[in-house]
Amino acid sequence: MDRLSQLAINDEGFVFDPITGESFTVNQTGLFILKLLKEGKTPEEIVSQLVENFEVSPETAERDVVDFIEKLRSYRLV
Amino acid sequence: MELKIGVSGINAVDNPGPGIGIAKSLKEAKDFKATVVGLAYDAMEPGVYMDWVVDKSFLIPYPSAGHDAFINRLYYIKESFGLDFVMANLDAELPILIRYADELERNGIKTFLPTMEQFKLRGKDRLDEIARNIGIDTPPSEVVASYDELLKAIDKIGLPVMVKGAFYKAYRAYTKQEAVSHFNKIVAQWGYPIIVQKVVSGEEMNVVGAGDGEGNSLGMVGIKKMWITELGKIWTGITIKNEKMLTAARNFIEKYNWRGAFELECIVDLKEDKVYLIEINPRFPAWSYFATGVGVNIAANIIRKAFGLPVVDYKDYPAGKLYVRYTDDMVTDLERFQKIITKGES
Repeated sequence: MDRLSQLAINDEGFVFDPITGESFTVNQTGLFILKLLKEGKTPEEIVSQLVENFEVSPETAERDVVDFIEKLRSYRLV
Repeated sequence: MELKIGVSGINAVDNPGPGIGIAKSLKEAKDFKATVVGLAYDAMEPGVYMDWVVDKSFLIPYPSAGHDAFINRLYYIKESFGLDFVMANLDAELPILIRYADELERNGIKTFLPTMEQFKLRGKDRLDEIARNIGIDTPPSEVVASYDELLKAIDKIGLPVMVKGAFYKAYRAYTKQEAVSHFNKIVAQWGYPIIVQKVVSGEEMNVVGAGDGEGNSLGMVGIKKMWITELGKIWTGITIKNEKMLTAARNFIEKYNWRGAFELECIVDLKEDKVYLIEINPRFPAWSYFATGVGVNIAANIIRKAFGLPVVDYKDYPAGKLYVRYTDDMVTDLERFQKIITKGES
């Protein structure tokens, strides 16, 4: 059951899981990461896209991506 | 086709009957014209006064009054106003209507109900067997009929436990004393057996559906309760697509050739990826209009099937639709109350 691919995500950062009925809100960075994860991008690819699109060092971006994926894991979304 | 359809459970109160949602669903069908005949047990059931949904209402005696009172009242309605179908929405009506379904049909009143054998499947002492047959689980449970068995069952299952009647009532017990008190209360009111069940954690999810009696679905929708009242009635909900639960509902229709409406109440443990069957209701739930609202008019499909109209094949519904129940009030004339009290009809 791949929950991530089934998430409905809108541009305001509202995320709905049709399997569980749970909903979440994410900020713009979270939304950016989530959309890329849904597209099947690896954490490394996401880090480099974050660095390209936001004023952030690779170290900080990597830490944020790892943290965010851990958070998703705690909700059993990945 | 114009049809006069009797709808019971028009008590749109804090513990709402399913009737008003079903009446609304029937009114929304485009391929037949439903005149809704409200079947009320009390002159103060709100549906009696909701004339934009219920066209005409009759007081009816309780089903326990037996054939002469209950069934003959339906014949009176048939003769005086017209009655082509009875959509029975309350558990207590089902046994008598199932028993006399053939007689009613011969007299021009159709029903679309489970068989008596199917109706008995709703007993909580049968849940385990049904859950296994449809590919889901039930919380570990024991059927008990004495204090001794009760205490042994608690030792085996571990506290807290749910103490349940075979058909009605369910209480949570954190201690053996509480369990004994619930046991006594249920036995006094509903008799044996009592089911002691492990408390499982997870999300409360339900399916409303209907079977055509030949193993085919007449439509189904899965929801999650987001907000319930103190009586446990859903007030806000959301459509979901939990495949395991929906597959179990399809299996239920197919394996048991289920006929008529039903609701499966489940607890879904996402961590363990388990769906627990908690209850089977052999009728529509109070929130069945939710399905109609997302494009799956199950009540209308039951009518189509019963009258040989083309049945709509509802393949899908959108997940993420929100259900919001609300209370409303109205002001009307006392004459309407007087009329239903004195004449027994609106």
